[in-house]
Amino acid sequence: MTTMTLTREAAVRAPRRMAGFWPTSPALMLLTVFFVAPVLGLLLRSVLEPQPGLQNYVEVFGSTTYLRVFVNTFVVATIVTVVTLMLAFPVAWFLAVAPRRWASLLFAVILLSMWTNLLTRTYAWMVLLQRTGIINKTLMGWGLIASPLPLINNLTGVTVGMTYIMLPFMVLPLQSTIRSLDPATFRAASLCGANRLQVFTRVFLPLAVPGIGAGVLMVFVMSLGYFVTPALLGGTSNMMLAELIAQLVQSLLNWGLAGAAALILLVVSLGIYAVQFRFFGFKAAGEVE
Amino acid sequence: MSVTRRTILGAASLVLARAGAGSAAGRDIVFTSWGGTTQDAQKKAWVDPFQKNSGQRVKLDGPTDYGKLKAMVESGNVSWDVVDVEGDFAVAAAKQGLLEPIDFSVVNRANLDPRFTSDHFLGSFYYSFVLGFNKAAFGGKEPKSWTDLFDTRAFPGKRTFYKWSAPGALEIALLGDGVAPDKLYPLDLPRAFKKLDTIKPEIVWWSGGAQSQQLLASGEAPLGQFWNGRVYAVQKEQSGIGLSWQQNLTAADVLVVPKGTKNKEEAMKFLAWATSAKPQADMATATNYAPINTEAAKLMAAGAAATLPDQHTESQVNLDMAYWAANREEIGKRWYEWQAK
Repeated sequence: MTTMTLTREAAVRAPRRMAGFWPTSPALMLLTVFFVAPVLGLLLRSVLEPQPGLQNYVEVFGSTTYLRVFVNTFVVATIVTVVTLMLAFPVAWFLAVAPRRWASLLFAVILLSMWTNLLTRTYAWMVLLQRTGIINKTLMGWGLIASPLPLINNLTGVTVGMTYIMLPFMVLPLQSTIRSLDPATFRAASLCGANRLQVFTRVFLPLAVPGIGAGVLMVFVMSLGYFVTPALLGGTSNMMLAELIAQLVQSLLNWGLAGAAALILLVVSLGIYAVQFRFFGFKAAGEVE
Repeated sequence: MSVTRRTILGAASLVLARAGAGSAAGRDIVFTSWGGTTQDAQKKAWVDPFQKNSGQRVKLDGPTDYGKLKAMVESGNVSWDVVDVEGDFAVAAAKQGLLEPIDFSVVNRANLDPRFTSDHFLGSFYYSFVLGFNKAAFGGKEPKSWTDLFDTRAFPGKRTFYKWSAPGALEIALLGDGVAPDKLYPLDLPRAFKKLDTIKPEIVWWSGGAQSQQLLASGEAPLGQFWNGRVYAVQKEQSGIGLSWQQNLTAADVLVVPKGTKNKEEAMKFLAWATSAKPQADMATATNYAPINTEAAKLMAAGAAATLPDQHTESQVNLDMAYWAANREEIGKRWYEWQAK
């Protein structure tokens, strides 16, 4: 079966790839002119400002503050990715197996949340999570807690807000992978004597890996560079890298240092992408069917 | 300053993004400010009548973004002609050569408050940082001084401060620690941070005016450092909000013209109008920020004039913009380092 799939894919892919290249050139040109060039410009500043040299990198790696921001960025992105995966998996599974009408209703709800303005959604969480917010007031009203829980301006607030924003980016690749699985495979596994748990862990999960990989990659990399939600729901002691870069660019006008921080973030993101590509191939590294 | 600050620039700047204005003759000028209620007031008080009187069209953009301003000047493609910025930034930007000098043959310098006027900028409006509080939280007691802001025993609860490195919070810490107003500068930074450390777990940061109002009105942070106009706006909506003018700290937004604008002449005419008495009076009436034209107060209704920062000068402290401009970068670095700890 493996060889058959491979040859079929190879046969279909090779000519299509070349034929598909030219129509992408306007988009590539757009990206080059308006994205790649300015980004390179900023990165160049990191070795040219205030004078040519590596002083900006020395400063970034030599400062405990910046290192703390780096570490925090990865911690937050990891937590958000794990929580998002746990929440998204059942939803994606339900989307894939539910009757069409239910699935499309749920789909609409997910898409609707994506289309709502990011700021509005983040402010809504502020209203819910703050000390005088609905959650704390309700819990205190029921006598469950004596003083408000610290749900905002800390890691909890960031995790809640970002997980909520990232959910669709995990659900969509997951459900497309799960839907493409053949239910007969699981029946066959059962017939061969696997119990439910075994079917899940040894058949279903391995087959879902490309979807999990794509979702995890997307959410993790997006989380690394996230800005608005951590700025509004987080505290200053768990600042993320994007916030630091914005501060350097807009407030301190230190573009050299900002370029250095941006380059590090870019290298790390590309590195993660490369690892994913190496282990799971093109499909897991972002291609969604 | 004002409603949306840097935190949300990413989203907001998309709204009005425009490039390369005015290659044609008889072109529009672009006035950039911070958005929100403040820019609305500037539109009504300055832009609308100016367009009507001069026939010169003025487009609005926002929010102000120092990074963008610098990028425009460096690239030589300046699409903002007049920009509302914070005072300390203007002093620093003038030194870096980012600003056009003001043409005082067009602008009348005579009646402009000299505290906020220089060769490269004119005052836009001036404001005070004041101690604002929500009375419901303290059972009849009212905080009066910056010392009270640091007294968590007498006034328990979260306190809110301006998040960004800017004149204000460090001065408040020093005043709260008993430093005499005339001994504030140069700032004793270690002492200021040490004082702030005593209440650090209780601090909630506000990054924009609207957020500060929400924190105050909801009681989320029942006391803190606020722009006076923002507290007034909450007072108009809700009872039980108080403010203390004791040692209120003045600072100003100023208007600048980015270096290399193609509409320098028109920009100067707009500046001359915006800083003249009547538009300044209208702006002050709408916002409760004070006019920077000394003739403006006469044109205001007596009731409105009485609520402005310029009526509370007895213990007023002027934030030192020149000191800040000289030390902006160093203080910024230490401020954010301290915050991230």
